[in-house]
Amino acid sequence: MTNAPLTRSSTDPFTLDIIAEMLRASAEEMFVVYGRTAQSPIIYEVLDMACGLVSPDGDLIAEAEGVPGFIGCLSFAVREILDKFPAQTMRPGDIYATNDPYKGGGTHLSDVVLVLPIVYEGALVGFAVNKAHWTEVGGMAPGSWTTDSTEIYQEGLQLPAVKLFDAGEPIQGILDVIEVNVRLPQMTMGDLYAGIASLRAGERGIVSICNKYGAAALHETMSTLLARGEQIALARLAALPAGEYTSEMWIDDDGLSDDPLKVCVRITIDADSFTADFTGSAGQAPGPINTTWTGLLVAVREIFKEALDSDFPNNDGFFRPLHVICPDGTLFTAQRPAPVSTYWETGAYISDLIWQALFPIASDKLPVGHHLSICGTIISGVDEEGERGQFVLVEPQAGGWGAMTTRDGMSGMVPSGDGETYIMAVEVCETRYPLLVDQFAFNTEHPAGSGQYRGGFGLIRDYRVLSETADLTATFGRFKFPPWGAGGGADGSSNAVEIIPAGTDAPALRKGKLARYRLRHGDVARLITAVGGGYGHALDRDPALVQRDVRNELLTPMQAHIFYGVAIDPDTLAVDAEETARLRLMMRETSS
Amino acid sequence: MRIASDIGGTFTDLVALDESTGAISTAKVSTTPSNFAQGVVDSIDKAAQDAAETAFFVHGSTIVINALTERKGVRTGLITTRGFRDVLEIGRANRPDIYNMAYVKPTPFVPRYLRREVSERLNYKGEVLTPLDLDDVAREVRFLLGEGVEAIAVCFLHSYANPAHEIACGEIVVELAPQIPVTLSHQITQEWREYERTNTAVLNSYVHPIARHYLDHLETSLVGMGMPRESLHVMQSNGGSATFDAAKDAPIHLVESGPVAGVIGAVRIGELIGERNVIALDIGGTTAKTSLVENGMPKITTEYKIEHRRDFAGYPILTPTIDIVEIGAGGGSIAWVDDAGALRVGPVSAGAEPGPACYGKGGERPTVTDANVLAGRINPEYFLGGEIALDVAQSAAAMASIGEAFSIGVEEAAMGVLRIADANMMNALKLVSVRRGYDPRDFTLVVFGGGGALHGAALMRELRVKKTIIPLLPGVFSAWGMLMTDLRRDYIRTLVTRIDRVTPERLDGLLSEMSAQAEREMMAEGIAPDAVVLQRHADMRYLGQEHTVKVQLPGGVIDAAALDEISARFHALHEQTYTFRLDTPVELVNYHVTAFGRVPTPDIQRVDATGNRLETARKGTRRVNFDELGFHEAIIYERDRLPVGEALRGPAVIEEPSSTTVVFPDQTLTRDEYGFLHIEMVT
Repeated sequence: MTNAPLTRSSTDPFTLDIIAEMLRASAEEMFVVYGRTAQSPIIYEVLDMACGLVSPDGDLIAEAEGVPGFIGCLSFAVREILDKFPAQTMRPGDIYATNDPYKGGGTHLSDVVLVLPIVYEGALVGFAVNKAHWTEVGGMAPGSWTTDSTEIYQEGLQLPAVKLFDAGEPIQGILDVIEVNVRLPQMTMGDLYAGIASLRAGERGIVSICNKYGAAALHETMSTLLARGEQIALARLAALPAGEYTSEMWIDDDGLSDDPLKVCVRITIDADSFTADFTGSAGQAPGPINTTWTGLLVAVREIFKEALDSDFPNNDGFFRPLHVICPDGTLFTAQRPAPVSTYWETGAYISDLIWQALFPIASDKLPVGHHLSICGTIISGVDEEGERGQFVLVEPQAGGWGAMTTRDGMSGMVPSGDGETYIMAVEVCETRYPLLVDQFAFNTEHPAGSGQYRGGFGLIRDYRVLSETADLTATFGRFKFPPWGAGGGADGSSNAVEIIPAGTDAPALRKGKLARYRLRHGDVARLITAVGGGYGHALDRDPALVQRDVRNELLTPMQAHIFYGVAIDPDTLAVDAEETARLRLMMRETSS
Repeated sequence: MRIASDIGGTFTDLVALDESTGAISTAKVSTTPSNFAQGVVDSIDKAAQDAAETAFFVHGSTIVINALTERKGVRTGLITTRGFRDVLEIGRANRPDIYNMAYVKPTPFVPRYLRREVSERLNYKGEVLTPLDLDDVAREVRFLLGEGVEAIAVCFLHSYANPAHEIACGEIVVELAPQIPVTLSHQITQEWREYERTNTAVLNSYVHPIARHYLDHLETSLVGMGMPRESLHVMQSNGGSATFDAAKDAPIHLVESGPVAGVIGAVRIGELIGERNVIALDIGGTTAKTSLVENGMPKITTEYKIEHRRDFAGYPILTPTIDIVEIGAGGGSIAWVDDAGALRVGPVSAGAEPGPACYGKGGERPTVTDANVLAGRINPEYFLGGEIALDVAQSAAAMASIGEAFSIGVEEAAMGVLRIADANMMNALKLVSVRRGYDPRDFTLVVFGGGGALHGAALMRELRVKKTIIPLLPGVFSAWGMLMTDLRRDYIRTLVTRIDRVTPERLDGLLSEMSAQAEREMMAEGIAPDAVVLQRHADMRYLGQEHTVKVQLPGGVIDAAALDEISARFHALHEQTYTFRLDTPVELVNYHVTAFGRVPTPDIQRVDATGNRLETARKGTRRVNFDELGFHEAIIYERDRLPVGEALRGPAVIEEPSSTTVVFPDQTLTRDEYGFLHIEMVT
């Protein structure tokens, strides 16, 4: 096979736009097919996946993703495949897989990339690609990721850019290897076939474009889209003030020791480039919070897009002005065989570092700090009585978002790294797993997140164990260092997991990370997510908003008095304006 | 006499059918927003119908959707399980506009302090873990009354598995507040997922008094005109009709009352011409809507949401709704050039005011209608039968902005706009067909709405459907479709079991129970037992999957052989839809019984075309742009004067007062005995 010849076509601009729309629709169809047929809840509920179409040269052209954390990750995998398998050897019906974190395509072993080259009239015209978090890829722990691994070999089966299908025929040996290395082979193989169905949907889309408009028009559309992406990024960049912006933060710990890790960024913006330099960040850690180059690039791309233009359809052209600098061997650029299984937690900090650095110049698009951590939770065990057998619940949690400069933060919403992600319905959860949810409610800790505009509320979800035992693994970041406030607004509260032993009311344990913690029948795991950061001073908050919060039982009259200097009658909920003015004056004097 | 009345934003349409002669009459009057009933009464007067002769009156109303989207419902309280009042506000916590960090979640229809918790708890099997605390209920009802709520919704966890606590709670509400309407979530839906079910119950409560008042008022007016009370029906989202009394109890079923009627009309057209597989396409001023009908059955979904957009989560309503894909592309859709220099059409529409530039009412931005005028497809002197003279110069002036952006002429720009608009509609058509595993060659496209006939011929060339049908009266087709409806009720229950672990007796027992309920309620609505038709489906999936496909269940008693047949049907349907099947165990999730109360379907009058000839139908010729087939001098015909059964060859344009049909040079058009126009490709 050879690449489609680069001939100048007479494609008019409208046809280009129509093809561009068809490419986007095809990527979306791939996404829908994967979600509707997959076996892993983390694919169909969390939508922890991306699907897209990539040019023969390995440039991302169109993408549909369920979470920002997967933005622009597909082209790296295609380039990795192309390095190993020359384009001219590819045949229709070939399918490749990779999950190697230290090469182009991988992030952690659970994220498996599938690649299908699309051949039209004998020439390679593009690739259908998807990447999704499969619940089970083997390794030391059920659900594959854990907070206490020390090397990659404990984190599951490695697929270093291998061929799965040859001209449409499965390579049975490799499929057998996958099947025998995972705990829930039915689920994992189901995800694999769902992924392949998705690739075929993408292939159909490209072939129908070629049938109607020809491969040359497709090729021309791809280059035009890349050029347009770059133009848009440059135009948006020009609107930001040039200069240097810096930020530093502490990451809780690596899961093995208790020591915080410092990370930092220096952003340089000029007319035609955006450079993020992470030099000075902590070295790679013994625990599995490391990320590798792909995870770093994806995290930077994510916030770059969010701060510049959230609407423009993704393609690699948009990211051409973006440059990333980071020495090898840091927390963000770990080397084999460093453990990486909870890399996304660190990826979220990468985005948040840039987010905080850019906040002063992009506060129209960015709120202040939020719960940030996906608060990944695994509960696994065996349901002795029911028909459920061995079970593995894997899910993210939603939490409180930061205030903006003009409004309160959102309550109970999935973090920036998640997107069109659905938290599991309680009724579905209790049907599927031997758990009882005692409450699912707002976490209204005060004065966390107070301000002129307050942070959104986090959530509390209590899981009571109904089976004899169950094991809990959790990675709740921002346990030691809460979401940041700004402009005089308070920081938010902490994400945390509490264990309340059966027959007691008080937590026996409060932690940010747990690895296979053994729960027994009747124990409650209380999952608490943070209140977001506040913006502006609490004493400047409109008393009517304080009154509304009191009416909604989010704040007591006493808290309104202490934290906001607003006097509210506990019976009538009326605001005493005079007393409020007096209180606030006094509080301002005291604080200055 | 059967009468259908469809209230739209601008006009109230009436279509009446005299069952003895098959004659159809229509009337169009202005909608009267301050008193919608007046418009309905006006339209009956205008059509000079004798109300007393009405055997079946059916009404499509926007009252519910308007009350929801304009937030004009009543102050509503919610009573729910202790520990879960925030469910309504948390929703599913998703962020559909995933790169927008400033995303704003949907605001719940009930604020937190009006969401009250009571002690009670069931498990997923419906077993009682904590009995309902009646004192809690009484206290919270009194609190809500003190806060002045006008409606109360009740939703408890797992009430789909056992409604006892909701029923007991409802009794206390009725006792303490007989004047307050109460909605128990299981009465609307017995599907799982607490957020979606709670929201459905809350929205039903929120519109309940509004809808009741409206229907009461309309009923008084219509009965006052002499219409028999038992003839009064209203169109539901599921494509069937319900009596006024049933609709007053559960008005949330009326959300899509209007749009679904066109789909039902398309089904009826398919029956008349012997086509069981149709794709309905309704092109209006602001949007295009499409829906696929397989084997005479519209697709039903319970994943419906109001205000849902790509960038907004919307509000779920778990009532069965005909699955319609809607996109922002209609005659009034505005063409524009985006930041990246790409031509876009819609979703912003010029609406009726100022309307397209050619209306000459101040619209300066180019629309799809302007593009159709410039392409020669619309006759500027015969728009709405000549009621509005279109100003071609205004269209050209508006379109010039697009031409300049691409350094091309106005005609070419207009063709670009049509191509983009058609491509948008094509994506919607493919979404309901090809992408769900259907081959369009097995389908007939039925186009209606103001713009359907203008675009149908272009769309069929790419979609490759068998043929395209333009019905009679495409402008009031939704009202025509309402005339064709049966009474319909849907019963859905969640009971998750593996098919290899369920006994046939259990399944048969459940389905029999649901069927008995359906028959009982149909008879209560005045339907004779032999006119009740039941259909049974199950939502099924492979164990471990989340999403389901809807499998039609075999008739008769469910025995072991029937279970095997159900499995086989599931595997085949999954493969058709998603290209693969698995050896994995199969799971049953929801059971769906649909009851139809068949009302005699009216005959459609044949047209009298005696003496009509093509030559005499011909009005002249016009230069029309047929895109890649180039410009042609098209022959213009008057629709009413066309002969029956005689094919004419494109390039041609068929004109009628409310619509224009374009026929490409590689197509033929035939008028059939009912007056429908058939377009087919020349092979």
